Amino acid sequence: MARRSDRVDSASESDRRFRFVDPHVLARISNLSLLARSVVEGFISGLHRSTYLGRSVDFAEHRAYMPGDDIRRIDWRLFARTDRFYVKEFEADTNTSFTLLLDVSRSMSFGSEGLTKLDYARFLAASLAFFSQKQRDRIGLVTFDEDIVEFVPPSAKHLEIVLHTIDRVTSQKPSDYRRPLLKVAEAIRRRGIVVLISDLYDEPEAILDAVKGLRYKGNDLIVFHVLDPAELKFPYAEAASYQDLETGEAVPIIPDYLRDEYRSLVQKHVEKLTRSLGDNQIDYSLLDTSMPLDYALFHYLASRERLTRTR
Amino acid sequence: MSFLAPLFLLGALAIAIPVIIHLTHREKKDVVPFPSLMFLRKIPYRSVRRQKLRHLFLFALRSLALLLIALAFARPFFESFSASAASSLGPREVVFLIDHSYSMGYEDRLSRAKAEVEGRIQSLGGEDLASVIVFSDRAEVLNQPTSDKEALEAAVAGIQLSARPTGFGPGLKLAKRILDDSELSRKEVVLVTDFQRLGFEGDDDDVWLPAGTVLTPADLSSPETENLSLTSVSLERDEASGRERLTASARVTRKAAADGAPLASRISLVIDGRALQTKPLELEPNTSATIGFDPVTVPAGEARGTIRLEQDALPSDNVYHFVLSPGQALSVLNFEEGARRIRRSFYVERALEIGDRPSFRTESKMLSQLRASDLSATDVVILNDVPSLGEAQAKLFSEFVEKGGGLVLVLGEGSSRNSFTEAVGPLLPAALGGVVDRARDWGGTLSYLDYGSPVFEVFNAPHSGDFSGAKFFRYRAFESPVSEGVLARYDDGVPALVERRLGSGRVLVWTSTLDTFWNDLARQPVFLPFMHQLVKHAASYAEASSWHTVGEVLDVDRYLAMVLERESEDDASGRSFDLVITSPSSRKIILPRTEARALLPLEEQGFYDIRRAGTGAGASSSSVAVNLDTAESDLSRLDPEELVASVTFRETGAPGSGGAVAGDSREAQEGRQGYWWFLLSGALLLLASETLLSNRLSMAGR
Repeated sequence: MARRSDRVDSASESDRRFRFVDPHVLARISNLSLLARSVVEGFISGLHRSTYLGRSVDFAEHRAYMPGDDIRRIDWRLFARTDRFYVKEFEADTNTSFTLLLDVSRSMSFGSEGLTKLDYARFLAASLAFFSQKQRDRIGLVTFDEDIVEFVPPSAKHLEIVLHTIDRVTSQKPSDYRRPLLKVAEAIRRRGIVVLISDLYDEPEAILDAVKGLRYKGNDLIVFHVLDPAELKFPYAEAASYQDLETGEAVPIIPDYLRDEYRSLVQKHVEKLTRSLGDNQIDYSLLDTSMPLDYALFHYLASRERLTRTR
Repeated sequence: MSFLAPLFLLGALAIAIPVIIHLTHREKKDVVPFPSLMFLRKIPYRSVRRQKLRHLFLFALRSLALLLIALAFARPFFESFSASAASSLGPREVVFLIDHSYSMGYEDRLSRAKAEVEGRIQSLGGEDLASVIVFSDRAEVLNQPTSDKEALEAAVAGIQLSARPTGFGPGLKLAKRILDDSELSRKEVVLVTDFQRLGFEGDDDDVWLPAGTVLTPADLSSPETENLSLTSVSLERDEASGRERLTASARVTRKAAADGAPLASRISLVIDGRALQTKPLELEPNTSATIGFDPVTVPAGEARGTIRLEQDALPSDNVYHFVLSPGQALSVLNFEEGARRIRRSFYVERALEIGDRPSFRTESKMLSQLRASDLSATDVVILNDVPSLGEAQAKLFSEFVEKGGGLVLVLGEGSSRNSFTEAVGPLLPAALGGVVDRARDWGGTLSYLDYGSPVFEVFNAPHSGDFSGAKFFRYRAFESPVSEGVLARYDDGVPALVERRLGSGRVLVWTSTLDTFWNDLARQPVFLPFMHQLVKHAASYAEASSWHTVGEVLDVDRYLAMVLERESEDDASGRSFDLVITSPSSRKIILPRTEARALLPLEEQGFYDIRRAGTGAGASSSSVAVNLDTAESDLSRLDPEELVASVTFRETGAPGSGGAVAGDSREAQEGRQGYWWFLLSGALLLLASETLLSNRLSMAGR
């Protein structure tokens, strides 16, 4: 009976993991790493300029000393207590901290084709987390809207917690970037990779101001700008009241008259973000939720490759 | 102009839709959620000029088409004046239908009904004709249509409660007949009743009052009804210490319209006027309980019994009468001969010792001990494989059967002698043949049973007895084939049980033994019920009912034959005297001897007394207990509108405040005129034109 229960638990655990990390997505990324080994290695291992090269800091267990073991690994304190030699075993080597910043503000709950931006962002975040776990990174997660909602500190053992946290995020409040991101910059002590997934509904200057703190602390910052196709193209035909999901304000709009100008403004916003973030060595990538997730990751890895070459 | 469905005219408001589209073309009222209006707010506000009405003709076409559709669905018609005018002029034919079922005895319902009708009689016009019908589940016209108010009032004043349940069908049918015969144009039925739902769930479906009839319900029901009733009684009789005992139990039901506190009452068992036991009871609303009385010794003769509850608002369903009749046991005389007596009758005697409905008084004798007087008080004689039978004895048995007795002939090994065969010859269906020996093929079985016969009908249902397990190693055959009266056959076709009517009685011939010598039927579970059925059928036994229900018709002669011990042989074959029957209300009914079959309709609750004409009170008499139909105790109310609609639906419109008015109905008028069809056709034409026109305009616009 207990065995059956165990099996059920492990099956549901597996299901939960595959909900976020589509095996097909991982397969595509694996192929990509074969084609562009340097990009993959750079992203997963080589590019992470870890300050703790070759040594893990996550203690796993003690093991009895065997002849041939490095005597530097003997735990002398334990020897003092037990009068026996034990060496300390660590978790597999960890390269860097990988922190996901996931925007869960109300505007992220928008979706014109069934899949909301928040759903897409969750899938992407989970994929990246899983991806990083394979590289033995310490994984952390911050969900935020106008303030920090959930904070999972980076750890090599936190994949399950991160996935669980991503699984139950909901969007309830409007967004603000400055306040929560400054808090995150204060909270992350160890340098690493920080990935921001958001729809970036704020002026580019304000966004840059908010993420600067993270960048200046030595983190590699990657920004995923997630937008719905309807936000990019504004395909509406009916005149109606359009309500701002963030503020609740409703404005009567005749789309036919505003569509071209809207598209132009969005385009300028994206260009400005690309330029200003790029100037600060922050990687920026615009993702459209109608694109397959693996395509989005492919796009990201390609741009990451370019970034590596410039370094 | 009138409309059959005027609410559809609201559909004309749909004309406003194209107007709104043409004139305003405003944004939808629906709110479209959008992630952020950050960019949209940056676009400077521009005033948008309102749409102008550009295609007036197109707009007119659309509006007209919608208007026509709305009109068509409203079903317009022109109401003819003559039909409505006819129903409001001239004298009336009024039928007062007054319920006098026993539920009208609840509180003062009947007197209220009379007062209601008397008030309406006073309001009749001088030329109005009225008649009074009383109904329960039967109806009776108390007077023919008249304008004499005094005669009508007298008829109403004489109405008495009946003991019958409610049924609206008969009364409405009678009212319909009167109205059909009437030449007056205005017809009205006033239905004065307590509207018991029970009365409606019957045969009212085919009653339709004539067109134009106004049915006015006068509802006498009360919202808070409370009724305690005796719904059934069970009487168990057994013998203890040689005396017959009675154990009675009664089912009491409390029906209440609303929940409330438990109701306490008392219930009594009365035998021959003496209250033997009284027990308390307490019932929650809408519950039932069974109250058992302690066993009492049954009096020697016939006794009248009553179970009585304390009185409530409806007292008539608080009593339950029954008659305890003696002579419920069947007298069986079993004859046998020879040294093997004990073996032969052992199983028969044991089987007949058991049984209480009826019980059997079995006496076994040697045939040589037979006296003529032995048969006078005997119901059934069993000749259990007797080897010899004298001519005188055969004659005695033959006479016994002709007078109504039952004879069971068991033809085993002993009955093979020629003297016996010759003696019983006239009683047999065919000459007796030899013995069939089936021992070599492990015995025969019974392959055919006549389940239509009373002997075997109780075994007809599945799992009600299996005769196939019995093996018959030897049995007697007849010399010639027997086709009539065969109730059972062996698997080779030889009759096993044959019935023959002789005079008023019957002879049953069993061609094997009733012990274990020729077969093992006696060891089978079916043997006991088979013997009981065989003897009961031979005696033409029918169980006498302890009570009857109001509405039943009693076959008096048959009842007397069953209940009373036969006073003489003459009485059994036919009645040579008049009968005087006294009803519970002391009404005398005389049934003359000349009447071929005396039938007595039981109309009253209580005891009917049946005795010979010319005998005094001390002479022997018989009682018949009559109880009410307990279904009437359920005072659940029917909505009067439901009844009105069901009997006036086809010819009338919706029931009005006081009843239903019928005429040349609006549906009929609208159906004849059929303007909706033209309107709808016009609308379709307009829509087709609009499609063509709008297509051309849009193409021109490109």
